[in-house]
Amino acid sequence: MRRETQNILLVLLGGALLKISFSGLYLRYVQKGLLPLLIAAGTIMIGLALFAIIRDIRRGKAVSDDDHEHSHSSRSTWLMLLPVMAVFLISPPALGGDVVSSAADTNQTQRSRNLLGELPSGDVIPLSMTEFVTRTAWDESGTLDGRRVKLTGFLTRAEGDTFVARLAISCCAADARPLKVKLIGDVPSLPDEQWVELTGQVVPKSASEKNSWVPSFTVESSTSVAEPVEPYES
Amino acid sequence: MTITGEIRSSKRRSGPPRLKITSLEVLCGILVLALLFQSRLVDLLDVPKLRTAATVFVAICVQAMPFLVLGVLISGAIAAFVPASALRRLLPTRTALAVPVAGVAGVALPGCECASVPVAKRLMQQGVAPAVALTFLLAAPAVNPIVLVSTAVAFNDTPMMVVARFVGSLLTAVVMGWLWVRFGKAEWIAERALARMQDHSGTSKWAVFAESARHDLVDAGGFLVLGGLFAAAFKTFVPVAWMQTLGGQLVLGVLVMAFLAVILALCSEADAFVAVAFSALPLLPRLVFLVVGPAVDVKLIALQAGAFGKSFAFRFAPATFVVAILCAVVTGVVLL
Repeated sequence: MRRETQNILLVLLGGALLKISFSGLYLRYVQKGLLPLLIAAGTIMIGLALFAIIRDIRRGKAVSDDDHEHSHSSRSTWLMLLPVMAVFLISPPALGGDVVSSAADTNQTQRSRNLLGELPSGDVIPLSMTEFVTRTAWDESGTLDGRRVKLTGFLTRAEGDTFVARLAISCCAADARPLKVKLIGDVPSLPDEQWVELTGQVVPKSASEKNSWVPSFTVESSTSVAEPVEPYES
Repeated sequence: MTITGEIRSSKRRSGPPRLKITSLEVLCGILVLALLFQSRLVDLLDVPKLRTAATVFVAICVQAMPFLVLGVLISGAIAAFVPASALRRLLPTRTALAVPVAGVAGVALPGCECASVPVAKRLMQQGVAPAVALTFLLAAPAVNPIVLVSTAVAFNDTPMMVVARFVGSLLTAVVMGWLWVRFGKAEWIAERALARMQDHSGTSKWAVFAESARHDLVDAGGFLVLGGLFAAAFKTFVPVAWMQTLGGQLVLGVLVMAFLAVILALCSEADAFVAVAFSALPLLPRLVFLVVGPAVDVKLIALQAGAFGKSFAFRFAPATFVVAILCAVVTGVVLL
């Protein structure tokens, strides 16, 4: 591959990184804390390519691979075009129900978390799915029993039951862990993958080893909402 | 191809402009076609499994790129600013002694496995013995502070896991280094990886730095994407639901977790959170997962094949796989 082409690929790839960084789309793929690194990486990629381009221009020519032995990896470099096209043309959506239904480790991840504080007071407590599942599945004291909470997640259905689910990531979408809660009561009849805000109460002691620690939740009211900017919990 | 060749080459293309199809025209063609058929492409991917695979693929690439960039910057800095003689003075002269030193030096590279491949390759080019560079390659992604802290956070009720992971990974790296000293053959490593940097007087050090970094990035970037493709495909299409049935079977659990570590290709900073989720399994198979993952996975095999050649990767990866499992099991039995 010619040097100019390599440089253009680097600019495109760096541009793709910057694009998802500044548009906020990076939250579909990686965790929030990676943002400064992404911007730095994109900038450095473009910088390295520009440096080479400017050097070539200043010397009045581009050194191309025609001039010396072919680089061994000239073919593999083409692959760098794939993430570029994926980002600019396809822009894959955040992970959803497909991952929830195929994962084995639903709600298991919370077992070792032991960071629970006092619940805030108030009539309706907004809780992350992580905290809700941790408190219902792993906290024996039943702090949520009788409290009204608000959960945000997307709907997913399996074997006749409806669930509200959310994914949690610790680094990137490849390590997504599903959290899910079974819905009973006034179950919203919205399509799968629709994001909802649900108000209701946990069914005490409903999470057990037998049902993979999936608690049941009595829905009192529900509203459909747009997909949050940050689709994953961390 | 050497960097200096690239920088210094002064042959001019001669003759009148030719109508020749080069990679530049091909690239433009691909981009135009992709734009024209964009909606077709999007429709094609509108299957839940494929969508998931596409997201995971982009996620792996996006997550790994900053670390690869860090790796090539370090590699470029070594090429430009660290003379080979300094490295020789820093390391013990006897390779067998230098191997553990390199393993411990891995603590200083805060990144995941993508960063360590270009650095290890550069170390070899600067005259560091392959065994030493390879030990560094295996140790760095597993024993650095960021990885250990994230392991401690994930396994906050079993702190011994952090110690076991550190010991197991370091042991793997050092054993592989010694095995290379004893059995390794230089001809397995592609010549280009060992080609010494030519003396680069005359070009400014910053130019050498930028050109080396750019060259390494272009070299490794494609292989990283290839690894991401494999990992996304495995992650999406290999069913892991039957994992839960492994519960009591320790030997099978160890083997399956080792295999999973290879195909999932998780970043070493995140794998502890995944390992903690396999709570149906005892600690030992999960330790195996944490030790094997940073040492050998599909993404890493692709990067190694790119940096050191296929005949190297196809020997080194299986050997590392076996050694890592053994080291993890021994460490786990003693410590956990």
